[in-house]
Amino acid sequence: MAAANSGVVGSFRHLDSLILAIEQLKKAGYRELQALSPIPHHSIDEALAKPPSPIRVFTLVGCLLGAIAGFTLTIGATLHYPLIVGGKPIVSIPPFLVIVFELTILFGGLLTLGGMLLNARLPRVHVGPAYNPRFSEDRFGLWIGCEEKQYDEVERLLENAGAEDVVRGAS
Amino acid sequence: MLVKTVEGRAIKVEGNPDHPVNRGRLCARGQASLQGLYNPDRIQQPLKKGADESFQPILWEATEKILAGKLAELKGQAGRIAFVTPLLTGSLDNLIDTWLKALGGGRRLRYELIGYESLREANRIAFGLQKIPSYDIEHARLIFSFGADFLETWLSPVEFARQFASMRSYREGRMGRFVYIGPRLSLTGANSDEWIAVRPGTEALLALSMIQVIIADNLASGLSQAEVRELRIHGAGFAPESVAEKIGISADKIRVLGREFARQRPSLALADGKSASGTETCVAVNLLNYVVGNVGQTVQFGPNAAAGKASSYSDVRKLIEAMEQGKISVLLLAGVNPVFTLPEASRFQAALKKVSLVVSFASFPDETAAASHLVLPDNTFLESWGDYEPWEGVRGLQQPAMKPLYNTKNLGDVLLSVASQMGIQKTLPWENFYSYLREQWKKLYEHVKPETDFETFWTEALRRGGFFQPGRRQVVRLNPGVLRRQFESPTVVDNVDKLTLIPYPSATFYDGRMANRPWLQELPDPLTQIVWDSWIDINPKDAQRLGVSEADLLVLQSPAGRINLPAHISGGVRSGVVAVPVGQGHTAFGRYAQHRGANPIPLLPKEPETVSGGLIWIETQTTISRTGEKHPLATTSGSDRPHERLIAQTVALGALQRGSEPEPRRETLQMYPEHSHPKHRWGMAIDLNACIGCGACVAACSAENNIAVVGKEQVGKGREMSWIRIERFDEGEAERPDHHFIPMLCQHCDNAPCESVCPVYATYHNPEGLNVQVYNRCVGTKYCSNNCPYKVRRFNWFTFEHPEPLNLQLNPDVTVREMGVMEKCTFCVQRIRRVELAAKETQREVRDGEIVPACAQTCPTRAIVFGDLDDPKSEVSRTIKSPRSYHVLEELNTKPAITYLKKIKPGPVEG
Amino acid sequence: MNYSQVDNDVLRAMQAPGWRYYAILSADLVVLAWGIFAWRYTVQRGLGVWGINHPVMWAMDITNFVFWVGIAHSGTLISAILYLFRVRWRAGIYRTAEAVTVFALFTAALFPVIHLGRPWFFYWLFPYPQAGGLWINFRSPLIWDVFAVSTYMIISVLFFFTGLVPDMAVVRNRTSGWRHKIYAFMAQGWQGTDSQWRHYKAAYLFLAALATPLVISVHSVVSWDFAQTIVPGWHSTIFAPYFVAGAIHSGLAMVIMLLIPVRRVFRLDAYLTQSHLENLAKLIILTGLIVGYAYVVETYIAWYSNNIPEWQHFTFQITGEYAIPFWIMILFNSLVPLLFFLKPIRTSTPWLFGIAVLINIGMWMERFVIIVSSLAHEYDPYSWGLFVPTWVDISITAGSFAWFFLWFLLFAKLLPVVSIVEVKEELPPPMMGQKGER
Repeated sequence: MAAANSGVVGSFRHLDSLILAIEQLKKAGYRELQALSPIPHHSIDEALAKPPSPIRVFTLVGCLLGAIAGFTLTIGATLHYPLIVGGKPIVSIPPFLVIVFELTILFGGLLTLGGMLLNARLPRVHVGPAYNPRFSEDRFGLWIGCEEKQYDEVERLLENAGAEDVVRGAS
Repeated sequence: MLVKTVEGRAIKVEGNPDHPVNRGRLCARGQASLQGLYNPDRIQQPLKKGADESFQPILWEATEKILAGKLAELKGQAGRIAFVTPLLTGSLDNLIDTWLKALGGGRRLRYELIGYESLREANRIAFGLQKIPSYDIEHARLIFSFGADFLETWLSPVEFARQFASMRSYREGRMGRFVYIGPRLSLTGANSDEWIAVRPGTEALLALSMIQVIIADNLASGLSQAEVRELRIHGAGFAPESVAEKIGISADKIRVLGREFARQRPSLALADGKSASGTETCVAVNLLNYVVGNVGQTVQFGPNAAAGKASSYSDVRKLIEAMEQGKISVLLLAGVNPVFTLPEASRFQAALKKVSLVVSFASFPDETAAASHLVLPDNTFLESWGDYEPWEGVRGLQQPAMKPLYNTKNLGDVLLSVASQMGIQKTLPWENFYSYLREQWKKLYEHVKPETDFETFWTEALRRGGFFQPGRRQVVRLNPGVLRRQFESPTVVDNVDKLTLIPYPSATFYDGRMANRPWLQELPDPLTQIVWDSWIDINPKDAQRLGVSEADLLVLQSPAGRINLPAHISGGVRSGVVAVPVGQGHTAFGRYAQHRGANPIPLLPKEPETVSGGLIWIETQTTISRTGEKHPLATTSGSDRPHERLIAQTVALGALQRGSEPEPRRETLQMYPEHSHPKHRWGMAIDLNACIGCGACVAACSAENNIAVVGKEQVGKGREMSWIRIERFDEGEAERPDHHFIPMLCQHCDNAPCESVCPVYATYHNPEGLNVQVYNRCVGTKYCSNNCPYKVRRFNWFTFEHPEPLNLQLNPDVTVREMGVMEKCTFCVQRIRRVELAAKETQREVRDGEIVPACAQTCPTRAIVFGDLDDPKSEVSRTIKSPRSYHVLEELNTKPAITYLKKIKPGPVEG
Repeated sequence: MNYSQVDNDVLRAMQAPGWRYYAILSADLVVLAWGIFAWRYTVQRGLGVWGINHPVMWAMDITNFVFWVGIAHSGTLISAILYLFRVRWRAGIYRTAEAVTVFALFTAALFPVIHLGRPWFFYWLFPYPQAGGLWINFRSPLIWDVFAVSTYMIISVLFFFTGLVPDMAVVRNRTSGWRHKIYAFMAQGWQGTDSQWRHYKAAYLFLAALATPLVISVHSVVSWDFAQTIVPGWHSTIFAPYFVAGAIHSGLAMVIMLLIPVRRVFRLDAYLTQSHLENLAKLIILTGLIVGYAYVVETYIAWYSNNIPEWQHFTFQITGEYAIPFWIMILFNSLVPLLFFLKPIRTSTPWLFGIAVLINIGMWMERFVIIVSSLAHEYDPYSWGLFVPTWVDISITAGSFAWFFLWFLLFAKLLPVVSIVEVKEELPPPMMGQKGER
């Protein structure tokens, strides 16, 4: 990877300009592209063609852990504290399934969130210099990780695609 | 009576199994005697009334000196002294007489509101004995009660209840039958097969008419031909046809009753005689018994009842006259409350003012003590030595269960001490009442001449609770004059504006002396289920006619006075009468009795019954008017009707005899295997045929298990705390109540619905089959109670108080529950553990019958049996094999540990 | 309408409030303080200060619990279920609906504690290891409640705040000073990069997928508090679907009730359109019909079963002391909502608001009738009783409403009441071809 802290950010008024810029930069051989946008949009994902999010694995693992925790808690606790209630057996599976279900959902939800934070590198204390507050409002941004010598080429490509503003040296 | 004491304080009383009268059982009033001992309103030291009419504490020496001084003044005019006690028997009674004699004489009254004057007088007229005989209820095959409420207040209810249950038990295809005759359906009446609601005062007519039927049918086995002839001549006017209308029943019915009474031998007729023609009634009933030969069989003179020795109402009136004339200077009142129990209370109070020294020996502040000059608080009987003799020869010996709680003194000791101050100890040489008592027993010892020395005799009597050698039987003959007696026919006026008042001694408060016991205030009246109050029972027809609805505050007006009471509409009184319980309406009897209901006695006529000199209870004509106000009555009953729920079940006698008991119990399909009970499975059988609904179990449970008393307002909200309750369902029609009683307590279900819903395991099933409630673990979700189909769980809505010194009564073996937790019947687990530990110490098994929960222990009719269901030989296991057994709400498959036995319904008496 | 305008419009609602807001907030705080006093009084004196008794041991406490849990349900329906179904009109209203969910749960969660006889031991209902080895009873529906409601609350809060993160970035960028710090914290350093969006969308989808069965389970579990017992009127297999439908019914009504003033006060008509409300009204027709069907079936089965306590319970419900709440329930929940079949009514704001209020009253009464009338007449007629509320019952109930509205009032001013990002998503993205678009 090129110097992590070096790159160029282009700002676009229009979504199709951004897509065009992505496509042209990719054609020019740039691989470190990062789009910034106020909304998620499938066309950006398609243009960047990054692998799907691994969150689903987190969700699955969470759910499984939750189910196991549910069974362990209910069966373990009742065997540990075996009191007869209502004439039911010590390990009464049907009522325990409610607990199992709830813990499945709970753990699944917690791990999904944890997976998101982990993968999206959140939370972060500082917003990177490449970020422009307008990217959360009505502008689309494209950050290209590149070395200083490539700045000119990148800037040209961006402006060709319709960038209204280009900032150098941002990371 | 046996008293359990812990660390010097009495915490529970139980009947003495060796005693021939109670046989180990007590009624609710007996159970509540502890709340007399620990009554927070007890008089704690001697009091003297000051000039400003308020009482000031005074030392014992000073009080005795005042009394001794006053008595000494009266030397030589001892007639100016009057001593009024309730009916005492035994040594204290003798001591008082001896003491009065030592003073030179004096009037002595044994005053009881309920004095049975008419019954005694009738026995004198018929048999020449002014006594009350023994009644063999147990062996009678048919009982007719002419208003005698022998299961609640009449003579010896605990003893009679036991006999009654035995008589009613189903054996070899038979059971005893019982018909109740009277205008008001009492608890006793509710336990009858048939209630004959005669017009008040016509009981004698019915008895006489039945005699005519018996004679006509040649069934008078107890009479000679000459006697029959005489009766036929003199009783010709009482043929069923001529009296039926007056009585209020059909002539055919009279014939059926008369014939059956003669056929079902031995039969027994009991009479109370509270109406204006009370003596006539009792004589007629004596005759009825005699005609069929019951006298000497089910009616047996000797041993006779102590109740026969009470002074009569007219004696009391004579005393009042003497007081009014200034003939009485010192009036000594011990354990009586005439200001409350006399119809002419105000006259008595005025007369008291003419007595220069009125001394009360009351243990509690009451209306009479308030009117006296000196109050010398007596010990309660639980703090005293004493003896008593309820039936001739049945001598109970009582020793103090604990030291006096307060600065009180035994009446006997006071009398002896006063005597020594007066310098007459030569005639009364005893150091204290205890030595007098011992000497009396020495006399008895010399009389019976047992083969032991006196100390052994005395110790043995103390151990057994007395010396029981019932008096000898006496043979009586009918006074032939009775055959020729001109019985008066009562005049029956049907005046729609007038209602005949029937005051009746309350099953819980008796004559009012028990009204300061919170347990009894909170014990529902067996029939109305009302607590903390009194009321007017009024027939639905009369209520409709007068525009009265439930809980309307009414004015009840008699020629003698008026009282305000709420209406309770009930088919349990005949149309044309109103009934009011006696016992409430106190004005100065401590916090629990204060200002509750009203006392109907002042409405009664002043003049005694001419023949017997007794108070006339049932004659007063009253009118009713509405005040427009409502006075809500608190009741523990949510609905009087069973609503097809089959909770208190019955079986017809015929069906039982035919053995055609429908469908045996089905085993239900189980989702889970049954759990095991390794050692025991505790269970209970409750025979509804024996249960009379008296509520003794409820009171016993309160005493044993520290049940909180919550007061009228909270009961009104359904927050009573009783672990066991007697549910009363009325399955009859509006005018003909048919009451069924069922004790309801935690069923200790094997599949308990309450357990599985508790989030914190505060209730679970223990290995001995108990449904256990862990107070410390309970967080108070109340879910268990919602899911309990029997609704036997009680919640601590507040921190309920046990005001001092009632806290001393608390059973240390049972936790006092705090606010916010659920509680319920434990099958007296503390008793189970005690026996189990004792068995373990001696390395033996627990014996059947060794563990007895408080309710089963006290049940006068032995309706409750407790034991191990896993032991096929235990009494409970054998009992539940009955074809009558069932589980309440069996269809819910809760598998209760309590099995009920259906009540047997023989139906009305038929020819 | 364009992206900037969305930001401006939504953030305008977050500007400093006027005196009216403070007046309403103060009134709300007074009611809340009174409710807290009533509860403190209960804790001090005991539950006896309520109208509950033997046999009606649950009444307004559990009524409120079920009511508030029910209110929560529509939020999740709108935010999660409609999300999964890609229902586009949810964008404008889901934030408010979800806020209702979270705050309703905050309110509902109080009642399991409040209703305890010894509330200071509420933590005994949670499974925590301790020296005595004392565990909880997993067979008790109340424990299921603990798990279900806790899970629901945690997931809802997570879902709510996850959805807020991109919006918080917008707010962060527009604020300064301490507000900036707070919103910056809530934005968690959000930049809107493609990878953040990717993981965010995936997580949001899975949370929605988890929340959907969860929401159904929660009210089923709540219904099992009743259905698992043997109480006539409670013991019924229809309860789970019936309660879930009823919960959504009341929740939708509550959302309508709150959206109408929000839209009016914050002038968000362009975002919370009449068609949003109309769609909600259509959903209410559906849930109203389900609820009405449940009433009929329940009663029919009670009659058909020929079970005496069951049938007597229903006749008591219909004709007894609680007949008025019962008929309010029938009228307001299943008959009045049918008016929404008429287009003029479902498009009229006053009608919508009025009917929504009636449905909320009706649904509260439904829970009251189910809980109180069933307990009042159980198996043993001797132990029948009636519940009559006391001032404490009413004060705590009023306090719970104040507590809910307190949260909502704070929400309305402190967070964007409309999801900025999702509204933007629904707009056509700016393209070169549409130069004229501003």
